[in-house]
Amino acid sequence: MTSVASGVARKKKVTPSAILMRASMIMIIGVAVYWLGLNLTSDPRQFAQVTVNGLNNGLLYALIALGYTLVYGIIELINFAHGDLFMLGAVFSFAVLTEALGATGPSATNYALLLVVLLLSMLFCAFINVSIERLAYRRLRNAPRLAPLITAVGMSFVLQWIGLKWIGSNPVNVNTVLPSSDFEVAGVVIAVKTLIIFAVTIPLLIVLAFIVNKTRRGRAMRATAQDKDASRLMGIDVNQTITFTFAIAGAAAGAAGLMWAQTTGTVAYNLGFQLGLVAFTAAVLGGVGNLYGAVLGGIIIGLIQSYNDGLAIGPGQRWSQTMVFTLLILLMVYRPGGLLGETAQEKV
Amino acid sequence: MARLNTPAMLKINDLTVGYGAITAVKGLTLEVREGEIVSLIGSNGAGKSTTLRTVSGLLKPKSGNIEFLGEKIDGIAGHEIVAKGICHSPEGRRIFPKMTVDENLDLGAYLRKDAAAVKETRDHVLQLFPRLQERINQKAGTMSGGEQQMLAVGRALMGNPKLLILDEPSMGLAPVLVDLIFETIEEIRKSGVTILLVEQNALAALRIADYAYVLESGHLKLEGDGSKLADDPAIAQAYLGG
Amino acid sequence: MSNTAPAHTAVSGNRKWAIGFTSVVAFFFILNKFILPEAGSGVQKFFNAWFSLTSMAEIMIWIIMALGLNIIVGYAGLLDLGYVAFWALGGYVAGWLMSPFFSGLNINFFGNPRPGLEFGIHFHVFLVLILGGVFTAIWGVIIGGPTLRLKSDYLALVTLGFGEIIPQFMLNGADIAGYNVTNGAQGIGGLDDVNLFGYVIGTFALPEKFLMVSLMAGAMIFFSIRLRDGRLGRAWLAIREDELAASMMGVPLWRTKFASYAIGAVGGGIGGVGFAILVGGVYADRFNFVISIIILAMVVMGGMGNVWGVVVGAVTLAWINSVGLIQVGELVNNSFGTNINFPSYQFLLFGLLLVLMMLFRREGFIPEARIRMVMNEDKVDEEVSDETKIASK
Repeated sequence: MTSVASGVARKKKVTPSAILMRASMIMIIGVAVYWLGLNLTSDPRQFAQVTVNGLNNGLLYALIALGYTLVYGIIELINFAHGDLFMLGAVFSFAVLTEALGATGPSATNYALLLVVLLLSMLFCAFINVSIERLAYRRLRNAPRLAPLITAVGMSFVLQWIGLKWIGSNPVNVNTVLPSSDFEVAGVVIAVKTLIIFAVTIPLLIVLAFIVNKTRRGRAMRATAQDKDASRLMGIDVNQTITFTFAIAGAAAGAAGLMWAQTTGTVAYNLGFQLGLVAFTAAVLGGVGNLYGAVLGGIIIGLIQSYNDGLAIGPGQRWSQTMVFTLLILLMVYRPGGLLGETAQEKV
Repeated sequence: MARLNTPAMLKINDLTVGYGAITAVKGLTLEVREGEIVSLIGSNGAGKSTTLRTVSGLLKPKSGNIEFLGEKIDGIAGHEIVAKGICHSPEGRRIFPKMTVDENLDLGAYLRKDAAAVKETRDHVLQLFPRLQERINQKAGTMSGGEQQMLAVGRALMGNPKLLILDEPSMGLAPVLVDLIFETIEEIRKSGVTILLVEQNALAALRIADYAYVLESGHLKLEGDGSKLADDPAIAQAYLGG
Repeated sequence: MSNTAPAHTAVSGNRKWAIGFTSVVAFFFILNKFILPEAGSGVQKFFNAWFSLTSMAEIMIWIIMALGLNIIVGYAGLLDLGYVAFWALGGYVAGWLMSPFFSGLNINFFGNPRPGLEFGIHFHVFLVLILGGVFTAIWGVIIGGPTLRLKSDYLALVTLGFGEIIPQFMLNGADIAGYNVTNGAQGIGGLDDVNLFGYVIGTFALPEKFLMVSLMAGAMIFFSIRLRDGRLGRAWLAIREDELAASMMGVPLWRTKFASYAIGAVGGGIGGVGFAILVGGVYADRFNFVISIIILAMVVMGGMGNVWGVVVGAVTLAWINSVGLIQVGELVNNSFGTNINFPSYQFLLFGLLLVLMMLFRREGFIPEARIRMVMNEDKVDEEVSDETKIASK
């Protein structure tokens, strides 16, 4: 694929606008590298600290980004409701674990409960995601592209409303099960929560990658993503495969929701919109449709955001979202296919 | 070659299929008997591919019915038809370009549970198409057209079909490869698979067919033994470019 | 020959709608200017509760916004999820160019500064409207230029990001490298009163302000119709229907899409200026994603592409959003003794509206015949699976 693409590119004349594009891209990357280098040399300890924080968020972004990428891969739909699904996962885990079961604070029983609720939250979000696909997206599969996109935006609003009715319009504090203790390695403070995030998300990501790459179901998913009719001719139940994909995507969002509530200690009904966008940027950064791309993109976005917020020499937290969305726009301009993806140019 | 006296495997009765307001196939009736090669020929837009796609469950018929081994199969979903023993190598190959040859073949046997039997079929397919063995770990999309076509046919065989549907297996191939494909089709038939074949290359298709149907704008125009039709001057003039 | 007949009915249809629009505007102007001040308190109370002039004037702004977005979504079929950005940009143009905000400067170009607040920049309102349109068009070009070559859903995403960045910039803009560009969360207040050829519309002259924004909405309606029926409008429709076929017939794809995006942005800019004048200032926290979606819902509900449909959609939803939910809620709660918080159903209402419209009435309530065809092409050949459609293209 790449060799073909570069072959075409070579044939093209080098236009002034192409030179301008290339030059501006190099300049932007140069500025970014200079900025990171400056921070690294001026305060290495702080840099390492911020990196750890960034990885923490990045893994959660990766879990959400996976959902976008899986769904986009299989039906070419940007599921705008996915971020809000993640929010419902966070709200659900708060309602069940913190409120109903009263698990507030670290203890052996509470850890067990946490795992149970993690599963429940995954099931809950999988169920909602599958329902949305059944009720709405499936009926619009052959409709003009605008229709499912607008539907997804509408669904996002409906989910936000459910969140709003569930916990109200103000952010709610969560008494987390996870301990708030931390320890120091070479001057860098590492929260125990961060380690737990690693311990939960990394195996989850591995399991997901295994499902998609190694199992029969996963093979059906990848086949359906490439060619639905040919998949039918192989005996693959395409509808069922799409349902399965939505279930997996939902489960990942549910897990991310619980982990978010447990590590940040707060949930809000409008959590999903911004985080969803951030996660989608991560998916696009990695190359939408590409599983590993989503993970890579999630981690990179987590780092960028963390560097922006935490480094001594930098724009600071109030520009956090702006940084991410600017990156999204720059990506669209320079590399719409993402780091690991193929080109997203419309075939005309 | 002439029609075999075996029982009918696939029966299409008075089939009508359309896209929206357009009717692509009108009142088509045909039959494929066990062990036969049946060819469907006709010019572009005659309704050949539409017929095949309807048999495979990708399209729903407007009216008429399709029977496979005495069982009604029209209206059931595509993946269930595969389970009944019909495998379809579609027009334009439609291999999975981002997957390896290996994975493509595995998908052909998606519904089969018996690993040993699948292995056996696989050996058989790789023996038919040694080129696929050489490329086994290559991404299918990077192969040449001829290799992709072999993969498409091989993939369909992986389902261990009772009826193999081949849609334009020689399209866009070099003459040497066309001959190879047709030789292979005869070989496949010898291994006991019934074949329903659609071809632009009508002469070659008629030569290997036991029986053939000629379609014209959705209607059945002619039918008869393959060799007879091949020698029919009217056919030659209309479809064989003679 | 068959072309002339529908064109004729379209014109007379437009006339009916235009007369209707004008009468409604005239009714509310006369009612509020002359009748209500002398009417009984019961009548006053009714109208102020259900049809307050402030909300009526805001509805006119929503009409302008919806028609602007309609050019992008309805005419050209491009999804913009960050239209609020243009509203904000237009608003800030007004804030910058007709207020005492830049207190270090002292520029007055036919402006009408308030007494004692002569410093800052004070341009004439016409000039501000033009500059507002130009400014947003430039931003439309910046955003649309690189992204319009991409798949349509990527455009949706970039616009969404843009719709987030611009308001955030405005919110953080009190300190951009030491300069106060937007006055941050406080916003820019104290905008000049509009001076039209010597006639000053005072801050509290609501009926006149209402009339002014109604005229702007009327102009927007007029231009929308002219645009749709013109050469560009047909090119947009061709693109919506089938990009490939359109480009083969010689419609320059990128340039045509680009035009829709830039022109659509102008609508947002002008509406933004109008809104800033209406409320006498511009405040960053008003501009959020929900606004973008409400405008989209207006376009979708009325009927993408149909000017009068979008106007009706805008009026209905804007009214529901500003007064309807509250008033109907009060009415229901009072008469049934319930205690339902109706405004909290806003998300559900707009979300469900979008979903249900897409599922059951994609062409909107007042559809345009040609849009109905484009939006429902999958229903015509339902039995055709997705691949066949690609193959047939």
